[in-house]
Amino acid sequence: MSKNLKIALVDDDKPNMEVLHDFLVRSGYHHIEKYYNGEDFLKSLHLHDDRAVVLDYHLSESGGMNGLEVLEKIKHASPNTHVIFYSGQDSLDIAVESLKCGADDYIVKSAAGVVLLKTAMDKVYQIQVLKSKEKRSQILSWAFVALWILTILAFTIFR
Amino acid sequence: MEIIDRLSAGDPEKRCYYINLFLEVLEPELKRMQADDILTGANQELLRQILHKLKSQVQTIGEHETHQSMNALELKISKGQRAEAYDLSPIIEQLTVLIRNLQQQLE
Repeated sequence: MSKNLKIALVDDDKPNMEVLHDFLVRSGYHHIEKYYNGEDFLKSLHLHDDRAVVLDYHLSESGGMNGLEVLEKIKHASPNTHVIFYSGQDSLDIAVESLKCGADDYIVKSAAGVVLLKTAMDKVYQIQVLKSKEKRSQILSWAFVALWILTILAFTIFR
Repeated sequence: MEIIDRLSAGDPEKRCYYINLFLEVLEPELKRMQADDILTGANQELLRQILHKLKSQVQTIGEHETHQSMNALELKISKGQRAEAYDLSPIIEQLTVLIRNLQQQLE
């Protein structure tokens, strides 16, 4: 089943990125973009960005931004964007810091981590489905109220 | 190799594709690790960077023992302690075996 969730993978580790990409595609996620550094991803970021972001912590040896800095910028520009850390850094301090900064989850890179990440994506997907259902029912109730007002108005005018 | 098996789902071409993806990184990084400035301990920061880069890859492939050795050595350098040749040689050995195994699977 195809799942309508847009995902952005931000990682400079090509083999892990490819494995993760193909695993998510096999799990039904077909709208996946790849970014090999935080700067390129941030250029594509916009307000109310509905992409789920999978972010590495250690993004570059050449002095680029690390994952936490990218996370802060994401939360500043688009607070509701879901961010999941997928990192080789098995550090409790970094995990706690990232969750404090607004990350949804922190998963350590491994074979099991790939499966855990897919589960985390399923959770984000469920949240988005619920939100869009809620939005649709809100629009329907407003439409019903508008129709009701119009009916009363029409009834008053033509009586 | 569980994740590669799962992704390739019995397709030998796909399996080779994933193995090659990892080999493209593992082989040159092993060579960098065997360079003189690393073996003599002169460039500790470069060694830490190489270990960091490789540890998540070997973990994804499922080489937990190699991952643990790399993680421990990376941590040691991060704490400001010096990595000695005897710390590095078992890692180089494990990596060499892993690369040889991956290459054999391509044949």
